[in-house]
Amino acid sequence: MKSYKVLLVAMLSLSPVAIRAATIEMHVNGLVCAFCAQGIEKKLRKFPATADVVVSLEQRLVAVALKDGQDIPDAELRKALTNAGYTVATIERNDTPIAAIRSRVGQVKP
Amino acid sequence: MIRQSRVLAGALVLVIPAFAFAKPIAFADGTTAMLEYGAGTMTEAQIFYAPEYNYSVGGGHVEFDSAITSETVRITYARLNYLVERWNMESAQANLYVWGGAGGATGNAFAGTQAVVNAGGQADYETRRVYASLKTDLQRASAFSVRVDTLQLGIAPYEHEYNRIATWFVVQARQYTGGIQHGVESALLLRFFKGGTWIEAGVTNGGKLQAMAMYNF
Repeated sequence: MKSYKVLLVAMLSLSPVAIRAATIEMHVNGLVCAFCAQGIEKKLRKFPATADVVVSLEQRLVAVALKDGQDIPDAELRKALTNAGYTVATIERNDTPIAAIRSRVGQVKP
Repeated sequence: MIRQSRVLAGALVLVIPAFAFAKPIAFADGTTAMLEYGAGTMTEAQIFYAPEYNYSVGGGHVEFDSAITSETVRITYARLNYLVERWNMESAQANLYVWGGAGGATGNAFAGTQAVVNAGGQADYETRRVYASLKTDLQRASAFSVRVDTLQLGIAPYEHEYNRIATWFVVQARQYTGGIQHGVESALLLRFFKGGTWIEAGVTNGGKLQAMAMYNF
């Protein structure tokens, strides 16, 4: 019985890691020109925590896949998007795989 | 009187909002290189680096060949571009820029090299389907003063996506002062861009080539 409790505690302690956000989705205002939006990828890919970046003009979406156990503070994200020329409307963290987001916005990995 | 008018025109260039096509500031830590062939009347090359999102520094070289006389002017300049205001709307963006610079000019209508002051402004409004822009650019020395005003209206046949090629049909109207050309020159242009590469070409109402290439990196 005691061993079950130990196992339960161990699982609960691990669960936050298991559900940690894997992806940051940002809705961005002003995102209308692909030529002008090149700076977004340039800026976001410089973060050590960034594994991948997806940009969708259609959905006004910028998604960042995070490396395991890493994150990027909201303030840094807003600064990066401002420096790229845009305004962040919302920031949301979830565990949606970046491949699923890429598929959702109709893109294939280059 | 003429001199006063020129001074006034120069001052207006600094304060009048104008709309433009190629943005003089790409993004923070970004470089923009541009080459334009303007129907044999104006040929210009520029390169700008933006340390921050709201300003860039660089320079260019422009050559004017008068369509009225045999006068030619060649100007090399350094310039600072400043983003006065940016409006990021849900599905549109608008920008207002001004710039100023200085350089030197040579030409066949005056001797030696003359100091030149460069000033101008531009702004633009665009969605993924519609585009409007106007740019004004003044090059002024004691021997000459040339201002180039360019209006562009564009429409996209489809809404391009980030990693796909964009296509725009553009109508351009351009007017030169300073004895470079009489009247307004119009042009129909076809523009493509993908990633950081931009190419456009077309023909003017005089049947001449108008073309531009630009690269952001």
